[in-house]
Amino acid sequence: MTLSGMFKGFPLKAAALCALALTGGFISQAQAQDGDIRLGIVSPNTGSNARYGSFALRGAQLAVEEINSAGGINGKKIKIFSGDSQCTPVEGVSATQRLIQEDKVGFIIGDICSSVTLAMQPIVENAKVLLVNAASSNPAITYKAGVGGFKWTYRNYPTDEVRSLVVLDYATKQKNFTKFAVLSVDSDYGRGAINFTKKYLERFKSEIISEDYYKDGEVDFRSVLAKIKNSGAQAIIMYGLADTTPIIARQMVETGLAGKIPLIGNGEFNAPATIKAAPTALNGAIEAAAWLPGWDTPRSKEFVKKFEAAYKGETPNNHAYSHWETVHLIAATMKAANSTDGEKVRDAMAKIKFDSAVGPITFDDHNQALVPMILLEIEGGAPSIKGAFVGSIDYPKN
Amino acid sequence: MLNLLGEQLLNGIVTGSVYAIVAVGMTMTFGVLRVINFAHGEYFMVGTFASWFVIEKIDLGYPQSVVFAVALTALLAIVVGYFLMRKMVGAPFENGVLATLGVSLILQNLAVALFGGSYKFFNGGYIEPVELFGYGLAQQRILIVIVCVLVFIGLDLMVTYSRMGKSMRAVSQNIECCEIVGIDVQSVVLWTFVIGASLAGLSGVLTAPVNVSVYGGMGELITFKTLPIIIMGGLGNVRGTFIAAMILGIAESFVAGFIGLQFRDSVGFVTLSLMLMWRPHGLFSLQSRF
Amino acid sequence: MSQLQETQQTWRSGFRLPAIILMAAFVLFAPAFVGSYSLHAVVIAMIFLLPALGLNLLVGYTGLLSLAQGAFFGVGAYASALLSIHFNTPFYINVVSAGLISGALALPLGIPALRLRATSFVMCTLGFIVIGQAISKNWISLTRGDMGLSSVPKPYFALGPWSFSVVSTAAYYYLALAVASLAILAFYLIVRSPAGRNMIAIRENETLAEAVGIPTWTYKLIVFVLSAVFAGVGGSLYVHYLTVVSPLTFQMYYTTTILIIVLGGGVGTISGVVFGSILFVALSEVLRVAPEIRMIAYGICLLLIVFKFPKGFAPVIDKVWLALGGQRA
Repeated sequence: MTLSGMFKGFPLKAAALCALALTGGFISQAQAQDGDIRLGIVSPNTGSNARYGSFALRGAQLAVEEINSAGGINGKKIKIFSGDSQCTPVEGVSATQRLIQEDKVGFIIGDICSSVTLAMQPIVENAKVLLVNAASSNPAITYKAGVGGFKWTYRNYPTDEVRSLVVLDYATKQKNFTKFAVLSVDSDYGRGAINFTKKYLERFKSEIISEDYYKDGEVDFRSVLAKIKNSGAQAIIMYGLADTTPIIARQMVETGLAGKIPLIGNGEFNAPATIKAAPTALNGAIEAAAWLPGWDTPRSKEFVKKFEAAYKGETPNNHAYSHWETVHLIAATMKAANSTDGEKVRDAMAKIKFDSAVGPITFDDHNQALVPMILLEIEGGAPSIKGAFVGSIDYPKN
Repeated sequence: MLNLLGEQLLNGIVTGSVYAIVAVGMTMTFGVLRVINFAHGEYFMVGTFASWFVIEKIDLGYPQSVVFAVALTALLAIVVGYFLMRKMVGAPFENGVLATLGVSLILQNLAVALFGGSYKFFNGGYIEPVELFGYGLAQQRILIVIVCVLVFIGLDLMVTYSRMGKSMRAVSQNIECCEIVGIDVQSVVLWTFVIGASLAGLSGVLTAPVNVSVYGGMGELITFKTLPIIIMGGLGNVRGTFIAAMILGIAESFVAGFIGLQFRDSVGFVTLSLMLMWRPHGLFSLQSRF
Repeated sequence: MSQLQETQQTWRSGFRLPAIILMAAFVLFAPAFVGSYSLHAVVIAMIFLLPALGLNLLVGYTGLLSLAQGAFFGVGAYASALLSIHFNTPFYINVVSAGLISGALALPLGIPALRLRATSFVMCTLGFIVIGQAISKNWISLTRGDMGLSSVPKPYFALGPWSFSVVSTAAYYYLALAVASLAILAFYLIVRSPAGRNMIAIRENETLAEAVGIPTWTYKLIVFVLSAVFAGVGGSLYVHYLTVVSPLTFQMYYTTTILIIVLGGGVGTISGVVFGSILFVALSEVLRVAPEIRMIAYGICLLLIVFKFPKGFAPVIDKVWLALGGQRA
């Protein structure tokens, strides 16, 4: 085959295929009415983080139903468009692109996985779509938002910086712990939270004697628990996944650690199902949570009741709450701005004071919400709330 | 310190037993088919899911769920074996990789599509801890070790003395001769595969009580752990695989216990890569066949 | 040839040149007609095309099944990200370095790996992905571990007094088009060269090739390194588009995708691989609403490839093409 012979068919075929792809014909989601407010929700709906995604989406849907049945915002109804990020940046970006270009959303809440959120930020910035994050923990998201560069990103979720400070403060001051073993999830969440913890160790005169990270899906903790048992640590600092906590708790019972060394940090320790899995191991656990179902304010209790009624008695988790609250936050901001125009809402959010179920929310100059962190301790098989703290963030100077 | 060493050794043996039961199935399949079954971990997952399902939805007891789970896995293996694996006899190696990768994708995602992506909680099994040599162990783990030993003794006996075992050895050595002598190669291949997959399913349901989490993607991790074991043990070599599994279990236990849990998964493949670069024929075989 | 056939022939050839020009114009001026979303899909297709070309070289021309493309893709992505973050280097330096670094890494890895037979070789390449992920997770001072590297700068070019950044999707579309076209050209030159013919010989019958004096092992090593270069370049394109890279890039998902593209598209052909990338992107976007279904579709594709279409789906395209009156290329 000669050079010319080879090229005869190929570019034509390739170009034809390319043209086919470019002309689209992709199926887009349900058509919304003109004048509807289009809200995109990007979350991991499949893959190993599907559990979080499903809670997030349902929380948001509940809020939208509430708002729409109360007449919507200035007469306009909200329509949700869901995008699946699979907790992978490539997919998250594709989902975001589709939401913006095809479904023409003007507002997006997403993602849960920080890497995805980070990848979404430049896209929404370019497209001038308001992104309100309600679940990611990587501080870089906030460092780069607001005056940090990305004006169209807001975050309505406490940072791990505050979380780790609150936990360490309580553990050292109230429980007199000074020696800690780390057993956190090997992800940006687990590692990031421990990085922050290390910043405060000297302030509280304590030390970390061993540091281990477990992968998503790890099931065998016996070796590391044996090490911890032998090390003289007084508590285990755990920033981990809700699904892994029962496994670790059970194996703590197995290896004789239960009741001797408590868990501190965050990993949905307060969920009833987790406590039931190994009550002796969870007793004495200390957790800093953005929210928990037992939070005793009328608005919060109302949310739990409505969620359980809407979803077959399933108790909401904190991602369900944060997404529910964020939808209400956006709605309130639209009312305050008296507009559904993206730019006006964005500017109004910087100045808003929103009455959430955990207290009033305002945003700092990095578009980070100043939300309280709830500290709880598991006593007698149930979470007992010890207080709520608001912390401030040390932004890096650059 | 000695206490800690002893405990990590025990942990290693327990972990190794699980690996061994799963690995032997994969290595037997390779022995007769020359195919690395990338979907092997999925049979582990099917066993776990089946048992979880009957415990949750039909309220069956744990021992009955074990029987059900192994039976269901065997049934699935018969279907896959009959329509797919048998056709791999004599086919180039790449076909096996791709076909089993395809089966793996289908099974994993079917489980997610049918049951949802979230982690399920496994209720059942004997999780009460007992004291053994001063170390706390769930009863289930002792059960696993006992089953592992029984399985291997059984397999060893079968391969050495039974007709099926001898046919398996013959097929793994030279398929053409088998056909001349009158051994039904397709049947041997099918049943070897079914035994292997069922063992994986059995392993799944036995470890479910102590692993607690059940989810569609759990098989992939198992496959990844098993691959280095069967290569290091010598492809098709049952005894070698047992030893390799134990060594890996103990090595992982020590790495997790003394260096860091986050390095635990690297042990398998790092050891494998090193071994392949310097001693490609496995730790136990005399010459390189593959 | 009958009168009718002759007329048909002339009509078709007369039709062909304008058709080519029309298609080329469409591809070149696409951003004027289609939205960002479709452009984005094609960019993703072209990003995956690069490691697929590399794998095509390995599998299609030397017969080596390697699962390591994902590893070199990740290495290229990290290399490019680190260079641009720390040294603010222009894109052409990043992309070339990414390719070279991946290739350089492939050399010491390939030397022992290629001594292995098929099965062990596949396992070894799988090991590269696992080790790559472990390194990216744990060498925190370099890669920031799971936090990943974010805010990777968009590609920019500085040529003398002239410098510009590639920011919009449309601009990226052209950049990807340029890189992909160069890669395809490079691929074509490699396989059309005498070296390429030797590679085909190795694929067809390695023992015979050795017997006639082709240094098979050297060729396999060169091809292994070259395929890593392609993957590295793809990784560079990827990271500048997404602006984020993390250990997640070493997941099996990428390797499986590249496998499907090459094997589904048609091993050993160029148009096959291009078709494969478009097929993959089309599948993933159409099935966006149900990713499990998409992965099941991938699984079924693999099974179909093994049992029904060992040469990929490209021959089916060829048949359709011929039926429509195109000339056999």
